[in-house]
Amino acid sequence: MSNAIIPLLLDSLASAALIFFAAVGLTLVFSVLRVLNVAHGSLYSIGGYVAASICLFIANRQLNPYLSFVALLFSAVLVAAIFGPLIERGLVRWTYGKSEAVQILITFGLFLILEDLQRVIFGVNSFYEDAPMRLLGTSSIGGVVYLNYQILLIGMALLVVIGLRLLINHTRLGRLITAVVTDREMAQAMGIDTNRIFILAFSLGVFLAALGGALATPTSGIAPGLGADTMVLAFAVAAIGGLGQIEGAAVASLIVGLARVLAIYLAPSLDAVAPYAAMLVVLLIRPYGLFGSVTARRI
Amino acid sequence: MKLRSGLSAVSLVIGLASAASAAAQQKPASLGLGIFTFTSGPAAAYGMPGKNAADLMIDEINAKGGIEGVPVSATYVDEAQGAQGVIAEYRRLAGDAKNQVMVAALSSANCLALAPIAEQIEVPTVGWNCDTHQLLIDGKSKYVFRPNGNTVPEFIAYAIYLLERKPNVKTVAIINPDYAFGHDAAKIFTAALKALKPDVEIVAELYPKLGSPNYQTEISRLTTARPDVVFSNLWGADLENFVRQAAPRGLFTSSQVVLALGETVLQRVPLPDGVIVGVLGDGWWMSPDAKANPETAKFAEAYKARFGEYPVFPSIKMANALIYVKAAYKAAMQKNGGKWPTRAELADAMKGSKVATLTGTAQTRADNDGLVDQVVGVTVKTAAQQFPVIGDMVRYKGDSLMPQAGQDPLAWISTLKPEFAKSLPKPGSYK
Repeated sequence: MSNAIIPLLLDSLASAALIFFAAVGLTLVFSVLRVLNVAHGSLYSIGGYVAASICLFIANRQLNPYLSFVALLFSAVLVAAIFGPLIERGLVRWTYGKSEAVQILITFGLFLILEDLQRVIFGVNSFYEDAPMRLLGTSSIGGVVYLNYQILLIGMALLVVIGLRLLINHTRLGRLITAVVTDREMAQAMGIDTNRIFILAFSLGVFLAALGGALATPTSGIAPGLGADTMVLAFAVAAIGGLGQIEGAAVASLIVGLARVLAIYLAPSLDAVAPYAAMLVVLLIRPYGLFGSVTARRI
Repeated sequence: MKLRSGLSAVSLVIGLASAASAAAQQKPASLGLGIFTFTSGPAAAYGMPGKNAADLMIDEINAKGGIEGVPVSATYVDEAQGAQGVIAEYRRLAGDAKNQVMVAALSSANCLALAPIAEQIEVPTVGWNCDTHQLLIDGKSKYVFRPNGNTVPEFIAYAIYLLERKPNVKTVAIINPDYAFGHDAAKIFTAALKALKPDVEIVAELYPKLGSPNYQTEISRLTTARPDVVFSNLWGADLENFVRQAAPRGLFTSSQVVLALGETVLQRVPLPDGVIVGVLGDGWWMSPDAKANPETAKFAEAYKARFGEYPVFPSIKMANALIYVKAAYKAAMQKNGGKWPTRAELADAMKGSKVATLTGTAQTRADNDGLVDQVVGVTVKTAAQQFPVIGDMVRYKGDSLMPQAGQDPLAWISTLKPEFAKSLPKPGSYK
């Protein structure tokens, strides 16, 4: 076991990074809009499909393969620009102020539609383009060969945490979002255009989900069912961290990643249940999650 | 009034009985088949090649005038809806007399759920991909038939082939999907290894969730275990993802990898040379027997032209299942003087039948289980194809790897001796 400690830690970080992208968007949307978006997992897989399609286009046209890195980011922006405003204005806004049950039912309906659309458009086979993974090569760490792309994923997750912190604490948009989160009615009374904030925040959530899917594509492959798996895991992370808590999502991703990796190394039969066992333990001790609270809402 | 109603009811029953009897005598306008496969969800990566093959076969059968002159029409049922939905669909289709046969199913769980219903309502049911050895284990089935694979011969074959190619193997790691098929395969493969080479140690057993997109942690775990051999019966998108992720991380060079269902990814991912791959049965469209059969070559080319890829073994299993049904109709009609057979006559014709398929022969035993040869080989590159093909093949006779009907499979495996493996054909002998 001692010779497996470095691989174990590195695997935990890489695993946490992928989970984090999916969870942080979900928690951000909940924090600002107070909507639990069940279709979030589908937006993750759509990001993956779009990224893989663009990367395949680059490969088939024999363009510079390094463009595929740009394609990963571009696809997330594209998905956010199309689906963010469309879903928020076209569907989600009708759920504001409604019960959680209504919100969940409506976004679940959207999830089913998006899942079927993906199957119709992209088929049932695994969809991928791994040029970014191949371009970066491998490194041997702790006696195990790792993809450098996995290290990049950890760095990207860290960048997203820092970027979100900077956005919220050091930009005007961040202050407006904080004002809306703290007291929506007061923010409206002060003249803040909450509709605009909602579109932006929802689109940012979609961007983060799509970015997660896009970044996962080179190593993971996208296939039917990924959206549902992602959604369930993202909910578990959001619950552990505390709904609406960005740092909570980061820490919870680490916990879930570590739980899963420990299970694979030490008790493989518990692999599938490890994230939910971690969630159960945390929620038994802190029912509102690690960073959540009963009354105050923060992001 | 009561008497008149009673008489009417009796007349109606007699009328229906006569109609049913007449239906058994006359050819129907069309023959309905209920075909159960996965057309959605992660398992569709395996189910759709089966459906594609069924579409193609049915078109070809109809182009030649149908089965014994009766055109065939299929109703497809998506197994992804779960066992309850599958059962309901099965009952609904069986309730319609025009559906004479069910070709069901892919999922072992669905096969096991449908088998007692098939017996209860007496509908001939052909398991096109029901591999679980539990399906016909009681030997009492009258209406359920399996002309394709069985997990026992399928996974013993890999143990024998592996030990022939790597007789000094000491450590083995297993990564199989976390459901019955994955666990059963590991159990059978391990039992065969232990019987044939007792000093083999299993150093890791991983069972990732079905449909997992990411195997990076599992690959790290396998690498740290440093096994001589990695065995897997991952399939579909799971297998593709595993191969794509494991190859650049050196797993295929640090260990001998055995991919029991590896043929399905030959055309889709760059598998390195020397990976032991198989087809769960004899369904490799480029095996010597298949190549010698003009029907198989025609089928493979037609499949490629229509679906953009050559068939994979689930496609061949489906095609062979339909050939089996067609042969049963022919045999039943020969037996009853050329009349259209009843469901019972059809089932009777399947019993003990020996059917030439696209890739070999399906011999049905007294317990309705099929004896099908097992083809195993390794990936090799050839000038003839852009993708790796299977070389160094061996073809194990179906009956050589099967316990007798009624015998406990695992108990039988534990009695296998190294001499048993030595008596079988060697890798590379199937040319």
